[in-house]
Amino acid sequence: MNSKIINSIKQFVIAVLTIILALAVGAILVWISGNDPAEAYTTLFRGALGSKARISEVLVKMIPLTLMALGMSIAYKAQLWNIGANGQLTIGAILAILPGIYLGLPTVILLPLSLILSIVGGALWCGLAAWLKNRFNANEVITTLMLNYIATYFLAFLVYGPMMDPDGGGFPQSKVLPEAYHLPLFSAQMRIHGGIVVAIIVIIMMFFFWRTKLGVKIDLIGQGDKIATYAGVNVKKTVMVAMLISGALCGLAGWNEVYGVQYRLLEGLSSGYGDIATIIALLGGLNPLGIVIASFFFSALLVGGATMQRMTEVPYSVVDIIQGLVIVFVIARTAIHFGWPQKLLRKEKKDA
Amino acid sequence: MDNLAVSMQGITKIFNGVKANDNVDFNLRKGSIHGLLGENGAGKTTLMNILYGLYQQEAGDIYINGSKEEISSPIKAISLGIGMVHQHFMLARPMTVVENVMLGKKSRRGILLDTKETAAELKELADKYKMNIDPYSKIWQLSVGEQQRVEILTAIYQGADILILDEPTAVLTPQEAEVLFDMLRHMKADGKSIILITHKLEEIISIVDEVTVLRDGELIGSKLVDEHTTKEELTKMMVGRDVLFNFDKNKKAPGAVKVELKGLSASNDKGLPALTDFNLTVHEGEILGLAGVDGNGQKELCEVLTGLRKADGGQFLFKGKEVINQPPVFYINSGISHIPEDRMSTGLALNWSLKKNLIIKKFHKAPFLKYGLLNQKAIDAYWDKCQKEYQIKAISGEEHARALSGGNQQKVILARELDDHPEMVIANQPTRGLDIGASEYVRQKILDARNEGAAVLLVSADLEEILQLSDRIAVIYDGKIMGILPAGADTNTIGMLMMGHKQEEEA
Repeated sequence: MNSKIINSIKQFVIAVLTIILALAVGAILVWISGNDPAEAYTTLFRGALGSKARISEVLVKMIPLTLMALGMSIAYKAQLWNIGANGQLTIGAILAILPGIYLGLPTVILLPLSLILSIVGGALWCGLAAWLKNRFNANEVITTLMLNYIATYFLAFLVYGPMMDPDGGGFPQSKVLPEAYHLPLFSAQMRIHGGIVVAIIVIIMMFFFWRTKLGVKIDLIGQGDKIATYAGVNVKKTVMVAMLISGALCGLAGWNEVYGVQYRLLEGLSSGYGDIATIIALLGGLNPLGIVIASFFFSALLVGGATMQRMTEVPYSVVDIIQGLVIVFVIARTAIHFGWPQKLLRKEKKDA
Repeated sequence: MDNLAVSMQGITKIFNGVKANDNVDFNLRKGSIHGLLGENGAGKTTLMNILYGLYQQEAGDIYINGSKEEISSPIKAISLGIGMVHQHFMLARPMTVVENVMLGKKSRRGILLDTKETAAELKELADKYKMNIDPYSKIWQLSVGEQQRVEILTAIYQGADILILDEPTAVLTPQEAEVLFDMLRHMKADGKSIILITHKLEEIISIVDEVTVLRDGELIGSKLVDEHTTKEELTKMMVGRDVLFNFDKNKKAPGAVKVELKGLSASNDKGLPALTDFNLTVHEGEILGLAGVDGNGQKELCEVLTGLRKADGGQFLFKGKEVINQPPVFYINSGISHIPEDRMSTGLALNWSLKKNLIIKKFHKAPFLKYGLLNQKAIDAYWDKCQKEYQIKAISGEEHARALSGGNQQKVILARELDDHPEMVIANQPTRGLDIGASEYVRQKILDARNEGAAVLLVSADLEEILQLSDRIAVIYDGKIMGILPAGADTNTIGMLMMGHKQEEEA
């Protein structure tokens, strides 16, 4: 037990160091661009957490990011490199909005139905990559990435074509959902909406997930096909299930964006959340609590970065750079964590 | 000092605060074969890696042919005439022998390769030591024994007068080992000095002139080996206590037939036949030893019997029922335990805790799963029980399997595979890479399982192990059973069968 706690603390410290390092390098860049790093970061911090409304904005971003990062973590634990979160979110969102725009169902039926559709959409989109992997041994990195493009352009086709809002003045977006279907707001002044309840439920479920039979199986296939098969786990089936769940959570994030934030389909709906979710999942060490913390950090960075750009001379691209730096450090850390010292250890052991 | 090829004095090497070598002295006389004996983890390879320049010692001095040297890299070692043949061969498989030798060597023809010249020199050298190697054959076409000869040849070609061999016989048949030893005797006669790292006592007694024993990183002693040297005395030096070489087999009459294989055939990973018309029976309460050189279908056989590989045809009767080509979980549930050949990738999830590795096949069953969640209490309790019963040396059950020594890793697997009183045990190379103490333990546990009534299929390339444990001995060659012999059969007979010579042909 003790070593477990020490391990978690270690992971947390490393994650914090990663972020501090990224911020420090970011500060140098701000300074080079002729601005005051202290001022920039103060503005960024205030912009993210300076008021209730700001915090609400952070939470609004946190919902899809957390859902997707949790989804990613399930695939990653199985060593399945699903990087198709954007596409899965998009397909989930498209399926989810259809009944809202075209069917006119009562809200109590529509909301659960659309939620299920979003899950099915995301799951199938990711499941397709899993099927290709199982059937043809197609690398999921390639397939999920390619499926992103298909989803993105399919969405563009819809909002420029059959689903374009006739009264939208030619903007690439669909009709707005009737107000009755919008997820309830907690306060008229703030954008934080009922989707957070769904996110919290998912987070709680994820805290237990890795202790369930399925969770252990998924973890085990991540340890290698050989050991998993040896232990009696059906690897192909488990790959499929892990990818279905992974995609389902991304699809759910799509439902959340459509019914809680945008209320319509529009081009570029995923806003690249999927890529950030990937970083969050890794920075959070694939651990639900770590993911929630990392997701909070990134949401604050996104929201605060926008404010920083508005209030100071510092361009938003600094935020992108910080994100990029975090990726680099996370990868470096992953390499250190899983690669080099282990190899060294092995070497030493061999000689012993 | 003059007659010493190597003299290492007061060598200390520390890894992560642990002394792998603690003030070790080692002296190699010119023109002698020197055995370096010790259990796994005793520090033999560390000491030799220091000599070969792969590691730098924290303290101590090295003298080569009497002069003090700083061996900062293998290149330096080679220039001093030191060559090392590692346990795992460092050869490029798609390339020819001569190409491998030329790797990392400057060509005498500038930017052009001096393949012909080198090949001729190699051939000459190979003939001199009766190595029988064609410089133009590709590495992958060579047997393991031949590949080893290529490694030795390379070292000598590079000018090695001091040759370090790390467990050279671990991969060889008894006959191949004899060939190797003959070669080594030739080299010795030629004035070369040889260090043989090993934990096999027969080798020490049969070929070595002097032996140095290490234990836990410390020097236990050096002694000349003569006809009076006994295994028991060496073991005591190495292990620090007496070891039972003769197990009390407590032989009972075997029971009913538990496993019957009829006309089994299967392919290997390349799609080539690995088992053809394979027939075998194993009885309840019997250890059937399957002897054979690695790669003759043993692995495929074990995999077919545990559902990890599909058989192409034939019958697998388990307690009289046809059970061929079922999914692995079926065999697990039928009580067929499997101690796989490859601990590292098949037997253990290296990045999982030891506790979780113990329940890798039963996490979905009570008491380990309660209300749909892993029951940490039951898992902890099970670990405590197994750790005691199987004497697993670990700091805690949370430690990753990777962190353990080979012997302790194997104990974790034994605990998992034997604790549920299996109906059948398939043990594939169960003591490979383990030291004497751990091997003794593993063998005892396998005997215990047999005595409890399990049908045991013991697959091993280690003849001594087969002879010690088996109630009957089957020999596999090229995917077929060459013959079945009673316990205590003659090593030579088994060896001939292992090489593919049928008994009838001999007669």
